[in-house]
Amino acid sequence: MLNIPDQPNLDHASAGVESNESIPLSRLARGQSGRVRIQGTTSEVKMLRAMGLRPNASVTMCRFGEPCIVSLSGACGGGCRIGLAKEIAGRVMVDPDSPING
Amino acid sequence: MSSVDTPPVVGGRTIALLGNPNVGKTTLFNKLVGLRAKTSNFPGTTQEARHAYYDGSVLIDLPGIYSLNLDMSESEVCRQTLRGDLAPLGVKPDVPDAILVVIDATNLMRNLTIVAEAIDQRLPMVVAVNMMDAAKRRGIGIDLERLSECLGCTVVGCSAKTGDGVDKLMDAIHHATIPNRSAPTDLDAIEAWSDDIYSLVAAARETPINDRLTDRLDRAFTHPLLGVLTFAIIMTGLFWVIFKLAAIPMDLIDAWFGTFGGWVGGMLPEGPISGLLVDGIIAGVGGTVIFLPQIVLLFFLLALLEGTGYLARAAFVIDRVLRPFGLSGHAFVPLLSSHACAIPGIMAARAVPDPKDRLATILVAPFMSCTARIPVYVLLTVILFPESPAMQAVAFTSCYVIGVVAALFSSFLVRRTLLKGPSRPMAMELPSYRLPDLKAAFLLTYDRAMMFLRKAGTLIVAISIVLWWLGAYPHAATPQESIDLREQAIVSSDADTIESLESQADMIEARHASARSFLGQIGGTIQPVFEPLGYDRQLTIGVLASFAAREVFVSTMAVQVVGTDDTEDDSVLASIANAQRDDGTPVFTRATSWSLLVYYILAMLCLPTVVVTAKEAGGWRWAWLQLGWMTLLAYSGALIVYQAVSLLS
Repeated sequence: MLNIPDQPNLDHASAGVESNESIPLSRLARGQSGRVRIQGTTSEVKMLRAMGLRPNASVTMCRFGEPCIVSLSGACGGGCRIGLAKEIAGRVMVDPDSPING
Repeated sequence: MSSVDTPPVVGGRTIALLGNPNVGKTTLFNKLVGLRAKTSNFPGTTQEARHAYYDGSVLIDLPGIYSLNLDMSESEVCRQTLRGDLAPLGVKPDVPDAILVVIDATNLMRNLTIVAEAIDQRLPMVVAVNMMDAAKRRGIGIDLERLSECLGCTVVGCSAKTGDGVDKLMDAIHHATIPNRSAPTDLDAIEAWSDDIYSLVAAARETPINDRLTDRLDRAFTHPLLGVLTFAIIMTGLFWVIFKLAAIPMDLIDAWFGTFGGWVGGMLPEGPISGLLVDGIIAGVGGTVIFLPQIVLLFFLLALLEGTGYLARAAFVIDRVLRPFGLSGHAFVPLLSSHACAIPGIMAARAVPDPKDRLATILVAPFMSCTARIPVYVLLTVILFPESPAMQAVAFTSCYVIGVVAALFSSFLVRRTLLKGPSRPMAMELPSYRLPDLKAAFLLTYDRAMMFLRKAGTLIVAISIVLWWLGAYPHAATPQESIDLREQAIVSSDADTIESLESQADMIEARHASARSFLGQIGGTIQPVFEPLGYDRQLTIGVLASFAAREVFVSTMAVQVVGTDDTEDDSVLASIANAQRDDGTPVFTRATSWSLLVYYILAMLCLPTVVVTAKEAGGWRWAWLQLGWMTLLAYSGALIVYQAVSLLS
């Protein structure tokens, strides 16, 4: 009954440079987004995936450092924010969408 | 399973509420059932859930989980409940007649994981899409009809906060059916499935914008310096309010129990029954219930604070401080609560996800200076610095600091020996900032207060009776000295002299009786153990009696040296301070007072806490370890202090 709208590109649509290399989530700059590359089913990974850090999910770094605060809603603030100890954020790999932005 | 004590629900249905944390599941539950809810444990676990009989059904609010398939006790409890193997105490374990899955409209994609797992249970189910109002405000539109098609079950949009759609929800639950579609079971497949559904049903009409306020608050609250400062200010405010405000009802309760005890004592003829009632039960329960205002205030304020979303941020701040000592930021609420009383503190440790982190938290929680220590701290700091209120305040604060340092040191040791391994790094959802939900805070506080009162009514009554009996029996023959004094009083004509002679006689009798009682005999036997710390027989009895409850120390000392436990009177405090040993030297020398202060900060002088530790840690060996370690630390600390101060003066 309703037209299915395209998923709007939640991430910095204008910044076209896409890095091929995966980096640890903890190294995303503030305001930068990336796609989560996570795999495995260890209890920590299962927990993170259940919390929303699943493969291909878009994350935005809202606070860099210890702790990292990332958002899953496509922009900082609001939405689903997750605080991560730097140690954990260092184990989650992401494909950054664009170079440092903000 | 234990079905003996569970009431049969005639024609009743069991409905389980399942969902992620922070989706408003409990707010929805409260909206549905209100005050009818009861908190109870799942037998054999430390997990608890609230349940309520409502409209012919029993609703169980399961713990909030991200997935049924995690290696966490919350997930395990949910799995077993859905299989019908487990139910909270008071509910018959049976496969639920329906599952109500509560999901958050603003976080739909992630929430679909638990929906898939619920569909896989093949039970009648309804999905409640909560926070529809918040989603609308953020420009997120959700096609509920299409979602219902995709899931194969009824989907109801609602807002637990405003109550919109809640009636429709209840109606839908009564007509719940088994989903006519299936969902994948493999994690990768579930994720792909939920991505597909999300793209079908959700429309973000506006590009998400940065929420600058949330972002700034988050950065401030987790800032290494500003965050710690904010934390310190909020916690100081919290404690100030708790101690200041609670003092009023505490005085009232104290006065009421005093009057009530006096009234009962006056009604009954003097004898064992009156002694048991007044000195045993009423004094024991009164001494515990007096802490109720503090506990109520603590839980109420903490619930409000948690409702704002601040506590999740504070946990990260404190995590940085605690992690080097093998404790995680999750330990923050338990340790904070332990400053009121270790019992609710240890129970709050259930929220610590890692089992080793949880055990370490439970083990060190009683080092926090609970309110029961305050009367002892007050007495001893006043004795040590009679002329200087400023020094009293410094000494008083130092007591708290010493307790925290001892806790960190102990945790450091235990994480390098028995509970080897680093504490689990934190990964925690930061809920949106909200105005606190007064109703939820009130309900939680009410539950905690009732739990505490139930404990005061059972365990603590039992302990009080035993201690009273040990202190009151066997009855000693009246000593000749007091008989002589009373004879003198009879022949005297001056009222003042009579009163003075009578009170001297009372004092001698009370001292005599306490020395001859079982407790006194035990004290006499054990006294040599405390000799190196500078304690005489009376102090030893005081320390032993404190095992029921620490604050008993002051009244026990009063009974022993004055023959009355009317500690309200300043002169009574003065007479404790000037008390003499059997050989005539003062009881409270400088060295002895310091040594006692250190002993009370560090020692586990609380039988109820030992019992609660055994229960919550899952074994008596942990309780014995805690008791043994705290006693060892207290004893050696007090010994060093006593010897050092004796040498210096």
